[in-house]
Amino acid sequence: MSDPSIKIVLKNVSKHFGKVRALDAVDITFAPGTLTTLLGPSGCGKTTLLRLVSGLEPASSGEIWFGDDNVTQLSATRRDVGMVFQSYALFPHMTVAQNVGYGLRVVKTPPDEIRRRVHEVLEMVAMDGFQRRYPDELSGGQQQRVAVARAMVLRPKVLLFDEPLSNIDSKLRRSMRDDIRRLQQASGITSIYVTHDQAEALAVSDEIIIMRSGAIEQQGPPQALYHRPETTFVANFIGESNVVDAELKGAGEDRQIVFGEAVVDVTADMPLTNRTGPVKLSLRPEVLEIKPMGDSASSQDLRGVVVQRAYMGPVIEYSIKTTVGELFTRVPAYAVQFTENDEIRVHIRPEDIIIIPENDRDHV
Amino acid sequence: MKIQTQRQPGEVSPWAVFSWLLMAITAYGLLPWTALEYGLGDFTAEEWGDALGWQHARPTLVLPILLTVLTPFAWIRLSGKISGWLWAVVSGLAIGALFVGFTITGTSMGLGAGTIIMSLAALLAIGAAEIGFQRGDTFIAGAVIFVVFMVAVFIFFPVWEIFRNVLVDKTGAFEPFQFFRIITSFGVGRVIGNTLVLAFTVGLATTLFGLVFALYAVRATTRIRYLIRVFYILPIITPPFVVGMSLILIFGRAGMVNDGLMFLLGPAGLLTPEGSPGLFERSGYIYGFLGIFLAQTLSLTPISYMVISGMLASINPAMEEASLTMRASRWGTLMNVTLPLIRPGIANAFLLGMISSAADFGNPLVLGGEYDVLSTEIYFSIAGAQLDFARAAALGIILLLLSLSIFYIQKKWIGKKSYVTVTGVETAGNVTPLPRGLQRGLTVFIVVWFLLVGLLYFSIFLGGFVKQWGADYTLTLSHHLELWSKGLGSGAWPSFLHSLSYALLAAPLTTLVGVLIAYILTRRKFIGRGIIDFGTVLIFAIPGTVIGVAYILAFNTAPIELTGTAVILIITMAIRAMPVGIRGGMSALSQISTNLEEASLLQRAGSLRTIRSVLLPLLKSTIVSSMAYSFIRAMTTVSAVIFLATAGTDVATTYILSRVESGDTGVAVAYGSVLIFTMLVFTLLVQFFLGRARTDKQVKTQ
Ligand SMILES: Nc1ncnc2c1ncn2[C@@H]1O[C@H](COP(=O)(O)OP(=O)(O)OP(=O)(O)O)[C@@H](O)[C@H]1O
Ligand SMILES: [Mg+2]
Repeated sequence: MSDPSIKIVLKNVSKHFGKVRALDAVDITFAPGTLTTLLGPSGCGKTTLLRLVSGLEPASSGEIWFGDDNVTQLSATRRDVGMVFQSYALFPHMTVAQNVGYGLRVVKTPPDEIRRRVHEVLEMVAMDGFQRRYPDELSGGQQQRVAVARAMVLRPKVLLFDEPLSNIDSKLRRSMRDDIRRLQQASGITSIYVTHDQAEALAVSDEIIIMRSGAIEQQGPPQALYHRPETTFVANFIGESNVVDAELKGAGEDRQIVFGEAVVDVTADMPLTNRTGPVKLSLRPEVLEIKPMGDSASSQDLRGVVVQRAYMGPVIEYSIKTTVGELFTRVPAYAVQFTENDEIRVHIRPEDIIIIPENDRDHV
Repeated sequence: MKIQTQRQPGEVSPWAVFSWLLMAITAYGLLPWTALEYGLGDFTAEEWGDALGWQHARPTLVLPILLTVLTPFAWIRLSGKISGWLWAVVSGLAIGALFVGFTITGTSMGLGAGTIIMSLAALLAIGAAEIGFQRGDTFIAGAVIFVVFMVAVFIFFPVWEIFRNVLVDKTGAFEPFQFFRIITSFGVGRVIGNTLVLAFTVGLATTLFGLVFALYAVRATTRIRYLIRVFYILPIITPPFVVGMSLILIFGRAGMVNDGLMFLLGPAGLLTPEGSPGLFERSGYIYGFLGIFLAQTLSLTPISYMVISGMLASINPAMEEASLTMRASRWGTLMNVTLPLIRPGIANAFLLGMISSAADFGNPLVLGGEYDVLSTEIYFSIAGAQLDFARAAALGIILLLLSLSIFYIQKKWIGKKSYVTVTGVETAGNVTPLPRGLQRGLTVFIVVWFLLVGLLYFSIFLGGFVKQWGADYTLTLSHHLELWSKGLGSGAWPSFLHSLSYALLAAPLTTLVGVLIAYILTRRKFIGRGIIDFGTVLIFAIPGTVIGVAYILAFNTAPIELTGTAVILIITMAIRAMPVGIRGGMSALSQISTNLEEASLLQRAGSLRTIRSVLLPLLKSTIVSSMAYSFIRAMTTVSAVIFLATAGTDVATTYILSRVESGDTGVAVAYGSVLIFTMLVFTLLVQFFLGRARTDKQVKTQ
């Protein structure tokens, strides 16, 4: 078999349901063989995008390409797509073997080969031996595995997952997501994965797409999204974030970021280094260090007062009132501890400051 | 693995196109183009030959020539969507031309023309799908076109004919005010008033009693509540007029009650003082409002019971428990919590009762006496020598509008709120029992009711075995022998076999179309869906007598002449039973997640395969029970078929009614009891097998 990986391209794709613009002129490229996660608030159009790619829903305008084929006009039946539904959608009147072998029967595979391939794919999802069970005789996790097996058995060009793990308890979810990732990498099938769980997204994806009201907010590898969010929306959506107002000042070598009483030199790899004026910064809770007032002060520190403290086992979370607003921090439990109303300093290392390039259309 | 190279959506193989073309051309060559004089059951070779298209009229040769010229285009692909447009436009125009041609020449279509229209419709579907209708899904496009076609021909067209007949006079001249002249003429106002009074009181009574039965079935702690589950089967399997007949047996002039009173208080009665002329005279009180009211209440209460008990069973017991824990009494809970919760169900039952009462034809027919209502007046406008079609049509319109408006009130006002599935669901443990006093009172009431119903059915059964009810109660087999022992060609057999065979054909047909309509309405969105939607509303709301009149008006002349044939009876039975299939299909489909179908599509299965492999197995029990119920309805229906059955095509119910009219009550009730018994056995068998099938494999649909 030749390399099964294909590129998926959406060109200017829109989808309207009456007046609702579920997708608004979206351009995306899914690289061959990657697993891309769609992440975004409820109703932002993730499922819609998936359904357009699958062909279950026709696009209102725009084109969808699988590799060199324009599939925009192809019906779902002919697109060569596998999909795992949130509800699994296993056929209740068929056994596991019949469910998985259904597509093979449809494309008229000889019975022997059906049996062999069903066995093969069930083995991959660790469900071999369950062939004769009916879906209602399986646990949620097992049904999920069967659904994955069914989606993969025809070796589709594209695999789609719509919140496949949302009906599974959190412990199992972790191992299932790793399994899906492993299977996807082994098969090399270009995959799109919708989830609400950002930890899941960070763990399984090659790329993440953050969506917002029918449009793409940012696309990139997990690290890039985490460390270089382009909008406050992304900064808040991936991981937790304190977004504060700051100002870029000076020129050339002497450029500085000023927020509250803190003044930090701009380093070369920060974005927007040639601009002056107000910007927003994202400060991740885990990069903020808290020091007692007495320690040697630096110009990069903010003064603050602890307003709330929560013990979380390995970490302690503090809310700190500062001149730039309330900051939320998370520090290891072994560090020096503070109590409410302690006056402290918040120390931020320059390399941990994230400048959000986009000037705010989005208020959070 | 390589994806199939680019194909136009909806493109079907050239052979499919070719086979429809071939079918049309063959039908033109071999099948009668025009209707045969005596139908397909009785013809000579010569008649057949004369009816062929080219024999009948040379210009019709255009059609096969056109189709032959088109044949190469099954293979020749025109660029873009031109092929699709070609097929759609040519077949659409051809269908239109055929209808216009037959209409203006006043010719009736034959089997050949019908087959050709069907083939053209298939080509139209293929073309429409290629253009992109239904996203290029040929099967669904075909199904939609088929359903639209059916609804247009067998619902819209006949209903339109009713209106047309009111607007033109006997000579065919336009007469816009005829309708008002008719409805302001003698007695029509009284008829409408009678209908409304009856419908309203029956609505109230059935609702009240339905509520009583529902409360009792769901909440009582006695044993007899199990009997209630049986009792709602009875009216389903009983032809509507049989309840009326049994009332006559008991309360009629020669009925048991009159007899008894005569025996005690009549001129020579036991308790009558010597020499007195008697304190009592036979009375016909049962004929008229009282009798119809009683018969309809008895036969419609189970419907109201099913609606209300479905609602009652769906109440969360916690709400009532909450009320009880707040120290409300059982009475208070019933009045302040339970009843308000089921208010939509009660309103629904009331409206259903009204519609059913207004539409009922059988009971007013046998019990009516002086009390005339719309449904019987429609019949009497046409029956006998009257043949006043305009009057029948005008009354039909009033009845239809009455029924439609109640239906719309029901749909808009409470439709959403009362969407409970009507099943015999066993309620979960902790329901709040009835207040003790109430339960005792209701028990007495229900026992009396059951005794009365038992007495009625017993009298029907017994009536078939006595010489002359009211005069000579000697037991005899003569009625049954007359019906059943004179060979298959006489007695009850011809009508019974007609009923059986028509119903056996109508049941699968109506279920198929009904479930198809349900599928289209729940699963498909497209322009023109409103047509099917409105057609469905009509199917649900149209009273049987109105259908009967409409069909007589629509199918008695060219271009579609069907009166006197078995076909029209089968279609009528199918239309009358169609709500069963639609409702069953709707509720079953709403339980099946569309994801299942989508999963199947993504496994490369087309929509036909998806329906066959995924939907049909999941709908199996719905389909079987709809078919069984449709069969029963087809066997017991009377209101519409009475207009359409002829000497050669009479069915069980019309035969019985004709015997009632000629005064052979014994024969009539003998036949009626056999019919009820057959239906009962059939129902029990179906329930037994369905129950078995369900426990075999509990299928869970999400
Ligand atoms: N069939 C439909 N008809 C009308 N509107 C629809 C339809 N499907 C989706 N929408 C609308 O389109 C928008 C996007 O819906 P979509 O299901 O894609 O959101 P989602 O991102 O998957 O949300 P969730 O995370 O809740 O699953 C919503 O506003 C939704 O109401
Ligand atoms: Mg979704």
